[in-house]
Amino acid sequence: MTSLPWLNHLIIVPVLLPLVVGALMIPINQARHGLKFALGLSSGVLLWAVAVALLVLADSGHWPGGIGVYLAANWAAPFGIALVADRLSALMLVLTATIALAVLVFSARRWDRVGVGFHSLFQFLLMGLNGAFLTNDLFNLFVFFEVMLAASYGLVLHGYNLRRIQAGMQYIAVNLVASLLFLIGVSLIYAASGTLNIADLGARVALLGAQDAWLLQIGAVVLALAFLTKGAMWPLGFWLPTTYASASAPVGAMLVLMTKVGVYAVLRVWLAVFGEGAGAAEGFGFTALALGGMATLLFGAIGMLASQDGGRMAGYGAIVSSGTLLAVVGHSGGAVLASGLYYLLGSTLAMAAFMLLIELTERIRPPGAALLAITMEAFAIEDKPEDPVGVGIPGTLAFLGLSFAACALVIAGMPPLSGFVAKFSLFHALLAAAPEGAPATTWMLIGLMILGGLAAIIALMRLGVRIFWAAGAVTPPRLQFSEAAPVGALVLLCVLLTVQAGAVFDYLGRTTAGLLRSGDYAARVLGEPPVLRAPGAEEGAR
Amino acid sequence: MELVLAISVGVVFGAGIWLILRPRTFQLITGLLLMSYAVNLFIFAMGRLSVDKPPITPTPAIDPAQFADPLPQGLVLTAIVIGFATTALYLVMMIGARGLSGSDHVDGEEPRE
Amino acid sequence: MLLASLVLLPFLGSVLAALMPQDARNRESWLAIGVAVAGLVIGGALFPQIAAGEVVRAEFAWLPAKGLDFVLRVDGLAWVFTMLVLAIGLLVVLYARYYMSPEDPVPRFFAFLLGFMGSMLGVVLSGNLVQLVVFWELTSLTSFLLIGYWHHRADARRGARMAFTVTATGGLCLLAGVLVLGHIVGSYDLDVVLAAGDRIRAHDLYLPALVLIALGALTKSAQFPFHFWLPHAMAAPTPVSSYLHSATMVKAGVFLLVRLWPALAGTPEWTWIIGGAGVCTLLIGAFVAIFQHDLKGLLAYSTISHLGLITVLIGIGTPLAIVAAIFHILNHATFKASLFMAAGIIDHETGTRDLRLLRGLRHKLPITATLAIVASAAMAGVPLLNGFLSKEMFFAETLHVGGDRNWWMSYAAVAMGMFSVAYSLRFISVFFGAPAQGLPRDPHEPPRWMRFPVELLVLACLVVGVAPGVSIEPLLHLAVVATLGEAAPAYDLAVWHGFNLPLAMSVCALVGGVALYGVLRRHFDLAQRERVPLIHRLNGAQAYETTMLQITRGAEWLLRRVGTRRLQPQLMLMMVALLLVPPLLAGVPPAWTAIALQGFDPIFAGMWLIGAGCALAGAWMAKYHRLAALALIGGTGIVTAATFLWLSAPDLALTQLMVETVTTVLILLGLRWLPPRIESITGPAQPAWQVWTRRTRDLALAVGGGLALAALTYAVLVHPASDTIADFFLLNALSGGGGSNVVNVLLVDFRNFDTLGEITVLAIVALTVYALLRRFRPAPESAGIPPQQRFEGDPASRQNPAEQADSGYLMVPGIYLRLLLPFMGVIAVYFFMRGHNLPGGGFVAGLIFAVAILVQYMLAGTVWVESHLHLRPHRWLGFGLLLACATGLVAWWFGHPFLTTHTAHVDWPLVGELHLPSAFVFDLGVFAVVVGTTMLMLVALAHQSLRAHRHPGEELSADGPGGADGRRG
Repeated sequence: MTSLPWLNHLIIVPVLLPLVVGALMIPINQARHGLKFALGLSSGVLLWAVAVALLVLADSGHWPGGIGVYLAANWAAPFGIALVADRLSALMLVLTATIALAVLVFSARRWDRVGVGFHSLFQFLLMGLNGAFLTNDLFNLFVFFEVMLAASYGLVLHGYNLRRIQAGMQYIAVNLVASLLFLIGVSLIYAASGTLNIADLGARVALLGAQDAWLLQIGAVVLALAFLTKGAMWPLGFWLPTTYASASAPVGAMLVLMTKVGVYAVLRVWLAVFGEGAGAAEGFGFTALALGGMATLLFGAIGMLASQDGGRMAGYGAIVSSGTLLAVVGHSGGAVLASGLYYLLGSTLAMAAFMLLIELTERIRPPGAALLAITMEAFAIEDKPEDPVGVGIPGTLAFLGLSFAACALVIAGMPPLSGFVAKFSLFHALLAAAPEGAPATTWMLIGLMILGGLAAIIALMRLGVRIFWAAGAVTPPRLQFSEAAPVGALVLLCVLLTVQAGAVFDYLGRTTAGLLRSGDYAARVLGEPPVLRAPGAEEGAR
Repeated sequence: MELVLAISVGVVFGAGIWLILRPRTFQLITGLLLMSYAVNLFIFAMGRLSVDKPPITPTPAIDPAQFADPLPQGLVLTAIVIGFATTALYLVMMIGARGLSGSDHVDGEEPRE
Repeated sequence: MLLASLVLLPFLGSVLAALMPQDARNRESWLAIGVAVAGLVIGGALFPQIAAGEVVRAEFAWLPAKGLDFVLRVDGLAWVFTMLVLAIGLLVVLYARYYMSPEDPVPRFFAFLLGFMGSMLGVVLSGNLVQLVVFWELTSLTSFLLIGYWHHRADARRGARMAFTVTATGGLCLLAGVLVLGHIVGSYDLDVVLAAGDRIRAHDLYLPALVLIALGALTKSAQFPFHFWLPHAMAAPTPVSSYLHSATMVKAGVFLLVRLWPALAGTPEWTWIIGGAGVCTLLIGAFVAIFQHDLKGLLAYSTISHLGLITVLIGIGTPLAIVAAIFHILNHATFKASLFMAAGIIDHETGTRDLRLLRGLRHKLPITATLAIVASAAMAGVPLLNGFLSKEMFFAETLHVGGDRNWWMSYAAVAMGMFSVAYSLRFISVFFGAPAQGLPRDPHEPPRWMRFPVELLVLACLVVGVAPGVSIEPLLHLAVVATLGEAAPAYDLAVWHGFNLPLAMSVCALVGGVALYGVLRRHFDLAQRERVPLIHRLNGAQAYETTMLQITRGAEWLLRRVGTRRLQPQLMLMMVALLLVPPLLAGVPPAWTAIALQGFDPIFAGMWLIGAGCALAGAWMAKYHRLAALALIGGTGIVTAATFLWLSAPDLALTQLMVETVTTVLILLGLRWLPPRIESITGPAQPAWQVWTRRTRDLALAVGGGLALAALTYAVLVHPASDTIADFFLLNALSGGGGSNVVNVLLVDFRNFDTLGEITVLAIVALTVYALLRRFRPAPESAGIPPQQRFEGDPASRQNPAEQADSGYLMVPGIYLRLLLPFMGVIAVYFFMRGHNLPGGGFVAGLIFAVAILVQYMLAGTVWVESHLHLRPHRWLGFGLLLACATGLVAWWFGHPFLTTHTAHVDWPLVGELHLPSAFVFDLGVFAVVVGTTMLMLVALAHQSLRAHRHPGEELSADGPGGADGRRG
């Protein structure tokens, strides 16, 4: 092979495009919002197209095993850095691009004006996310995590006031320490196994001697601690609700995605390294994941019940969802992976929509209404029924109300939307994993998830009633189309996810099947040959 | 030699931990500095120690055993630079917080209790 | 398809209704009527097959992988319920057309109502238990929305939340129960589950399944102790009450029990759980109903007690009991719906529902009065009305329960009969006596069509009551056969069975009821009494409210225990996790083969004695003596750099040194803005022991963490390295990477993708810092000129930095350093050029250059520097990043992957043949970004000092570095 098929270059575009666009924007005078927005949006649209294209390529069997490998700088793995586009990473790319588009459109209204550099930072954030999803090299993963985090620091502080900066200090300090853990973990893994490439690691792990295996496990755990700090596992995730509550709406929506990156990274590394074929180390640490996940789930549920304002509640909701994911995957491993991914999709979309929605609903509530509602629900003031004539809900309120209800249903996993499908399929998978009488832990996990859903619905109903009903006769809030459309689109996606559950699950089934064959994965990544030099150019090149 | 380095890494790291658990932003940032020194040395140590074997290869044909492991060095370089950037960011933010809240507590406000 | 349309039509109609304009009462109701009629027609079309005893199924694949398909299934029972839902729905819609006032937003109302109709049909027709749960929750949801329809009223909001919380929780229990059931049977398909009755009852998960499903059913059907939500649901518009909360939705629970009877019933647990709940409910409901003052409240409690009656029958569980249950479900639906509508008419006409005000309405509303009286007679179980028949059967069944010894069930039944007679009398009392005075509105007969539904329903009560054999028998038979299969018993619905015990019970119920009512009126002033006697403490609603409150409170309390919003505990937890989790999971290390590779070197040890000492001292000083601490920590940094140099990592040493310098300068610039901290000033006073414990805890953590890392380092260092990928780099650096400095080649070739990301991080941070500092406002006390510079005796205090550097005390170093600038530039270039083969490279060069400019700032001051050099940090940044990307993209043109390096051989005059790898260009990009970043940050910081010297109050213009570039970003 003397030159790379053009299609393969697509794999690196999700990293490259936002980098170039973001860099282009740096010198542009910030007053020119229009231009910057146009650049950002076109990049977003392109990214989405590329992500979809990658998904199709990965699923259509264009690459053997549905795994596309791209050797950056043309050095064979494990020596160089390999980007891998398989069904999972492609899926995450699509998810990212979708939410990014919605957020961009949403922020066009006013958020990109409240501070400098919004669009550049946003592009860099996308670069970090996509890189983290694509890379197959641990240290490169670190670098992209840093890109992502640095951008998110900027965005969390975007348009900063005291509340944001206080939240930001917490967020940044915690993540800086987490990054140090990340470095310790990576270097330990290198010391033990002599490689940084995840696939290579998976191939080597079975051959390690006792001492190296021990070092590797220590390293892996430290690494996982770093990931799970970002994934907000209890007790490492206390920074999350505060950050969500204080971040601006678009940034909050992106944070939802970033929380999932931590979980994604754990799954990626664990399945590749401690999946089947890992010899003595097979299944290492899964139990701990399950326990931690359950604790996280419980903590998130308590938090939702306790929190009164939307942003914080959303934060705890995110904690619940990552807790659920970790718990089920830790509990039954690959068996529940498809359902888990479906759950991830639905909850991420709904959460993002919810974060945007909160900001819009803030405009309904007249000051003091919240307090009033609390006291009323607390002491059940029986006021005599007044004239039995309803208050007409104008279009905007109806829209907000419907979207809110939809998000609430998905987040709480109540019928009929995707949340319920996800929860049910999780239950089904958990039970199916043990046909002959499920163990008590399974029932416990199921019970926890149901309780979590109950807590969520109670909390969300309280919030919704307060926002939409207890506000009394309110003037309908002014809503820009560019703000309503993204929310509506995300909600519609949730509905689509429900209706098309069958098709989605087919895809996810193929995805997990690919993930669980870690052997093929390693073979594909390590087997990818670099592009050979044209014989004549042996001198010229290099 | 190994022992000396190991102990020093430990001491610096410990001092860092003590500092990041303190309530003032300046203590936190110095703590982060110390911890990153320790971690950089740690990464570096993962390539084992070698004296007078800088990874500079005069000729293509060499015996790798005669040179220090270059990879950890590369990683440390990246780590140093990223650490520098994030430290600077935290520094500026702590100034900003101080400006807005008048406090240099890590929570951006003096503890209430 | 026909079946599917049966369920889909209402939802379709609901969407249409939602889109209609506010005031379209007629169109809305016509739409709804159309939907209901269409449904009835479809139902009728199905009748022949059903009558033939077949089961009509329709399946649509949804999630076959999870055994979750969309299955619709009609048998006799389902069919009868479908018709009930549709028929009552039709009447209610017609009624609602006149009930709702023109000001009400009817689109919402009809949309929700149709939505409910669809969900209810879904529940009835589901052939898959999970799907049934879905529709089940949907009915709860729509009921929530309908109860909260008048959401400006607090009681509506409260009732809605209560109803939803209770029923939705029940729904979740039901879901769990269904899961267990499915786990036992291995399928969620209704037919399969029904067929597996024996296996289920034998399974040891039977009890959990039963309890969970019972919870679902009992909450939905408002059974004790969950009955309290129903009366509060009466805040809904009356059509809703008569449709959802008497005729259909509350029947879903008992329907489910009947539906699952073949699978679950026939065990003592069944009888005790279901029957027990039923008995309590029927007594409490009937008793409390007597003492209500609100018409609808009375009806609500009577509904509760009738549901209790049905539940008891199901609990008894004999085939005949099931027959009676189904029969009573139908009867109750007819008379209770009509009663609610009548109550609605009264409310609508008089403007009140208060039994204490309403009197002698028969004069004003003769027809309504007659209808209501007949209907309540049916409710009371007066002969020749349908209520009598089913209640008769109920009495008969109660006689069998205890055999011939134990009669408590029968006593309970008779008591309930008496109560129901009493509250029926209470209800109709509004029509008798002298016409009431001072009613909110002057009543008169409602419009023709508003009364029509009532008339129809009352007629049904009469017909069934007089001639059950011809009217209801066939339908009932369908349902019974479908439920009981071959167990279907022989029964005959006759008005007259001759003199027997049940009849006696009915009689004494009637007589006793009348007597009871009279006594209560005379001696207990029933008309005015506020509290229910004996059991008024039994207030479920209050219990609910307190529970919800407690839950929230408890959650907040717990959250304070298991969570925190402060930073220090979080960092502490991270450190604890770092210390404990790895050993916990990885276990104790295996036996270690230690081989020291390097001999001990006293100088190295001494060096680190200093380094470590600096670290410790710095940690000690950091609180009160920031400058000292900074210097000490710098010391540690220097030692680190020296170590790198010692251990053959010259590149690291260089970079560390430069970074050290820049960081220190940065922090120095920042120190000026921190508040003074002096030993004497302490924060909020804390008890000494608290401080002490906290410090010891942190100390322990620090020591532990240090030891752990030290141990790990040592373990690795003395442990022979496994074969690493490093050798590849050493071997290929020169041949493949065209550079002999492997580390640099690693950065710009082998792993240049990392480097790309890394410079991006730099750029991002620069942007963020810039954005932060543009909005920076110094704290008031640190805004002015620092005291050190205010000393009047010092001439420098009257000069600005530029003057100081030109003519002031900084003149000499100022001049020198200006000359130094070009030299340092050259040095930077030198390090850059040699980078590929010897220690150096883009980073180092960039930092050196940055420091060169920085020095100028420090001495000559911002103004002078920027008036002489025009820095455009943003351009440096953008240019650097783009250059790096461009270098990488060139590879595409050669058909190679991104960032593949190539070498161009250029023949330069004088210099000769020079080979220039594209890595050089890439490194140039790195250089530019590093310079740009450092400038942007340092300069932005330096600018703060300009602001500080301005007088407070003067508007601070947000000037960034380089004036003209101020508004870049």
